Amino acid sequence: MTVYESDLPGVGKKHEVELGDGARLVIVTHNSGKREVFRRADADSDSEKLFELSDQLARQVGTLLEGAYFQPVQTDRIETLLGEDTLLEWVEVGPDSPVAGKTLAESDLRQATGASVIAIERENEDVIVSPGGDAVVEAGDTLVVIGQTDACRDVLSTVRGD
Amino acid sequence: MAADLLELGQLFVVVAVAGAVALRLGLSVIPLYVVGGVLSGPFVAGRLGLPYVENGEIVTLFAEVGIVLLLFFLGLEFSLDRLLESRTKITRSGVVDIAVNLPVGIAIGLVLGWSLVESLLLGGIVYISSSAIITKSLIDLGWIANPEAEPLLGTLVFEDLFIAVYLAVVTSLVLGGGGDGMGSIVQSLAVAFGFLGLLLVAVQYGTAFFSRVLDVSEQEAFVLRTLAVVVPVAGAALALGVSEAVAAFFVGMGFATSGHREKIERRLTPVRDVFGAVFFFWIGVGTDPTLLAAAAVPLVVAVVLTTPAKMLSGYLGGRVYDLSKRRSLRAGLGMVPRGEFSLVIAALAAGGSTPIMREIIPAFAVGYVLVMSMLGTILMGQSSVVERLVFRDGEERTEPAGG
Repeated sequence: MTVYESDLPGVGKKHEVELGDGARLVIVTHNSGKREVFRRADADSDSEKLFELSDQLARQVGTLLEGAYFQPVQTDRIETLLGEDTLLEWVEVGPDSPVAGKTLAESDLRQATGASVIAIERENEDVIVSPGGDAVVEAGDTLVVIGQTDACRDVLSTVRGD
Repeated sequence: MAADLLELGQLFVVVAVAGAVALRLGLSVIPLYVVGGVLSGPFVAGRLGLPYVENGEIVTLFAEVGIVLLLFFLGLEFSLDRLLESRTKITRSGVVDIAVNLPVGIAIGLVLGWSLVESLLLGGIVYISSSAIITKSLIDLGWIANPEAEPLLGTLVFEDLFIAVYLAVVTSLVLGGGGDGMGSIVQSLAVAFGFLGLLLVAVQYGTAFFSRVLDVSEQEAFVLRTLAVVVPVAGAALALGVSEAVAAFFVGMGFATSGHREKIERRLTPVRDVFGAVFFFWIGVGTDPTLLAAAAVPLVVAVVLTTPAKMLSGYLGGRVYDLSKRRSLRAGLGMVPRGEFSLVIAALAAGGSTPIMREIIPAFAVGYVLVMSMLGTILMGQSSVVERLVFRDGEERTEPAGG
């Protein structure tokens, strides 16, 4: 998928997303926060406006589209691709995980796998951003990991105790 | 005092009604504010014996703040990085735009026997397209999501930069020239570029200052602090005979790099709109419609010559952006509306020393902006008709071949 971004001086920004059949989705984000969404059937046709959303509504719809509330397609993990071979991945620490109850330094994930834990999400608490080696991982935490695809796989199997 | 307040009240009633009419008809508010000003000014309402708004000190001062804020916002939106990023395309379409339209305006003035400075003012008025009207039309028509939005907005960025330099020079020529020879012109130009140069250096190195000034969460304090920088700097410029508009433009550029750009736009847009409306109204108040007759010849000549000239330069600009002929034609139609900046130049001319500057040029500008803003908006709205007219030949040739 290619996304084209361009500035609209005095208005905001425009993103164009290729839909695969030659058509493009055009999203105009106004400086006021308003989003206008258009569809352009092909390079020669005019953009047809589909709908517009306020800033807040756009964020809520965006979360729905992202699948945060309902994902019919079962994937065993959420991952985000950054560039060719780098992943941002979320891993939940189960009660039987070998890393539960240990500090990051003790489980030594970075040395063992090459991927880094960049944040620890804990229910009902603030996210621990850039945790140090002395940060203790608890069962139920979600680790946010960044690294090469292979390294992330390794972290996944280590945390799950496979 | 009571009379002044009542007069100001009348002003806001007229402007509010004009805005409502514009909304109803789907037109830009600018021409309607101007018409509202003409009708409720001394030359129409006054002559009919109705209560009228005078071109008094208060309205003039409010209008002045309107000019300052209009140009401040222009500076805020103007990004040198953006210009440099796509400089080849923007520069090429921008240079075509100047090379075609500015000389046409200057030539009209010279042919009419006007002086060089007067002709230069006319050139500026017909050259500068209206960012406000064009941007609004792009959004209304949905062209904003089409490729033709890029040459249109790109060329406007170039025009914005040019108009800053232009206003700096022409303000010195009009205010400093005074007809007493080259010496005083050179001196006032030196003062202008000295002051604006210092301001530019301050803006370049003052990012930390600008972000500290605006680092406050209360809306009220934020708005006041912004005004507390813009208005005094503009005032100091004008006191030195330097263009207050350009000074405000530079301050806007400074604030743009402070990281608060979007917040300023959100919070100060209502302030700008209030004073901007007063400015357009004030331009109308100062216009004697009977003077339009005196300006009729340049007006007709300018409309007839500069409409196709803008369409041509806009078309070529579209081609620079590798657009198809049809989309390039739209870019041409889209550049036709003139508005706020033509009126800013007219306001500058009104402070000049010759009768042509004081009376004919402002009347001309009002008539010209009224015609071109409507004509441009109509051309954009009816672009499919224009496209069919222009490309009819091409279709006729391809049809027999196809069937």
